[in-house]
Amino acid sequence: MLKKIIVTAAVTMLTSTAAFSHVTLEGKETPVGTTYKAVLRVPHGCEGKPTNVVRVQLPEGFYAVKPQPKAGWKLEKVKGAYAKAYDNHGTLVSEGVKEVVWSGGNLGDDEYDEFVVRGTIASDLKAGGTLYFPVVQECPEGLKERWIEVPAEGQKASDLEMPAPGVKLLQRLSN
Amino acid sequence: MTLTMTSLRTKFLPFSILRQIALAMLLWLGLAATASAHASLNATEPRDGSVMAVSPAVIRLTFSEPVSPTSLKLTLPDGRPVVLDAFVVKDKLVEVVPPADLSNGTHVLSWRVVSQDGHPIGGSIIFSIGHPGAASPRIGDGVDWQVRVGLWGGKIALYVGLFFGIGGTFAASWFANGSRNALQPIVTALLAGFAGTMISAGFQGLDTVGEPIGRIFDAEVWKAGFATSFGRTVVFMFAALALAALALASGPGRSARWISLSALVTAAFALSLSGHASAAEPQWIMRPAVFLHVAAISSWVGALLPLAAEFRRGGSDAAIALRRFSNFIPLSVAVLLIAGLILTYIQVLKIEALVTTSYGRVLLIKLGLLILLFALACINRWRLTNRAERGEAAAVKQLIRSIVAESLLVLFILGVAASWRFTPPPRSLILEASEPAIVHIHSAKGMAEMQVTPGNAGPVTAAAIIMKEDFSPLDPQEVSFVFSNPKAGIEPIRRKADRQQGNTWSVTGLVLPVAGVWIVRVDVIVSDFEIMKLEGEVEIKP
Repeated sequence: MLKKIIVTAAVTMLTSTAAFSHVTLEGKETPVGTTYKAVLRVPHGCEGKPTNVVRVQLPEGFYAVKPQPKAGWKLEKVKGAYAKAYDNHGTLVSEGVKEVVWSGGNLGDDEYDEFVVRGTIASDLKAGGTLYFPVVQECPEGLKERWIEVPAEGQKASDLEMPAPGVKLLQRLSN
Repeated sequence: MTLTMTSLRTKFLPFSILRQIALAMLLWLGLAATASAHASLNATEPRDGSVMAVSPAVIRLTFSEPVSPTSLKLTLPDGRPVVLDAFVVKDKLVEVVPPADLSNGTHVLSWRVVSQDGHPIGGSIIFSIGHPGAASPRIGDGVDWQVRVGLWGGKIALYVGLFFGIGGTFAASWFANGSRNALQPIVTALLAGFAGTMISAGFQGLDTVGEPIGRIFDAEVWKAGFATSFGRTVVFMFAALALAALALASGPGRSARWISLSALVTAAFALSLSGHASAAEPQWIMRPAVFLHVAAISSWVGALLPLAAEFRRGGSDAAIALRRFSNFIPLSVAVLLIAGLILTYIQVLKIEALVTTSYGRVLLIKLGLLILLFALACINRWRLTNRAERGEAAAVKQLIRSIVAESLLVLFILGVAASWRFTPPPRSLILEASEPAIVHIHSAKGMAEMQVTPGNAGPVTAAAIIMKEDFSPLDPQEVSFVFSNPKAGIEPIRRKADRQQGNTWSVTGLVLPVAGVWIVRVDVIVSDFEIMKLEGEVEIKP
């Protein structure tokens, strides 16, 4: 029994860790056509320096976006046109927030924080795919930590040096 | 019954505790895993790219989280790897003790660690002691002086055989009617030339395979010697020496003249087959220039011994020989000078190389001796020749002395010229320095044309022109070059590139410590959220 538990623990550790590196999303998967709360987890700064700015680029198909303000951080919403119009409770929206910037903060390298954006995952996105939220951390002295690499075909996120956080898309929930 | 229950409980208690511990462990592991990230290297001591006066006692690597090193390797300036197994891990800090008294030059510490998430990561830091740069193996302390002396001596003996022996045979048959007065010194010179040519082949072999003098009788060494371009020179020199001997043996007459001429031509051809000058471009100029230079020297220097011998002997033959020589020599000297100037121009290229390179300094010494030689020759010609021809005893005596002095000077010059064997001409130094290694990397999104200058191991500058896939300009935010050499165990060396004019990005002060195939990656931050990685291979020469 003990052996079994330890083996289970070891396996759990090994399988769960690969995905928990770098800046990541808390919610690993979400059905298309629903609201998704993207919680970006920032585990460290840039080469030991604190993080002053966190920027996230929102993927096409993630619309009706509302970022969550954070105390001590200035919030900026960069808006632009979507590639196509999306249905927001009966209203077609063709533009909105495409990038969110939290700036003026000071998140130490030895501290942890989360940055939240809520939005809707378009229902016509393909289930099984992954939606990526590239993130850039900016630190003093022009240092930047980028989490912007999207795996090419046949590549795994764990092969990348600076993988962008992503969420796996699931089948639409039946009403 | 109660007793039984109690005993049961006590029996199971340890198990339930174990189970709790196990569950706690599982939770803890899960949490630990959640909190962990890939480790990254935050700081190093010495700093990446730094130059220090003395060997560091300890190398410190500070990571962003606790790590366990799996491999720590130091690449020494001569390219040898050393595994570092003396290290201490203190939480996030890894302290490595390098070998004591590292030599001057650039060292690369390649590290590989596993962080808490079990993900191995690696990288390299470069530091230099004294001065940046790879120590050049085989130069400096790597010189085998015994082999050098052998090469040098062999070359001088070869020259003596060529210029005094073959040249002497030629001069004796053409200027002195095949007189045998100088037979003894000419034969001696030919024998010296034969011996010199022979041992040169052996020492050339030793030098090629890098073996000590003790292996001079090894067949492999000789095979290696003959396999070089010098091997052809040896073969034709033997033929030329044999022809000269044949000319001497056939006695005075027409046939001896033509045989001696063919000996001289063969010998000049032999020298044009190898050596720095013959290897230089453009070969259609250089090889004939070497040929003419050697032929002209032979006809001049070769005349010294027969002329001296004739005058010693006295009689009218000496005057006739001197007259013929004097008529012929201006042409010979003109050819010698023109060919020599061409060779010098192409080999040296830049005037300052005359003093800054050892090749140039050897050339200056040779030129100095040549001026002395020409001065003596001028005295002979304008002050002594006419009087000696008239048979004035004092002039003849002086002329003989002068000719002996000339011969000694020629020997010196040959000794100096033979040392060129060890000095690469400035031309090849410039060529070497300007020959970059080039790699073109192409992907679906863009391309990079990278040049590593020089294309040799040691300090280099890397520059890349970065374009979109349709050759239109790309204006990236940031560019980094990442060099690694997995075969040599060198983990990625990452450097941020500086923007030069236009779309060229460069990294200076980089050191690629070993020769071989390097993997080069150009990381292009196209925009804040877009990266393009271009990976290729570049060959770095030793």
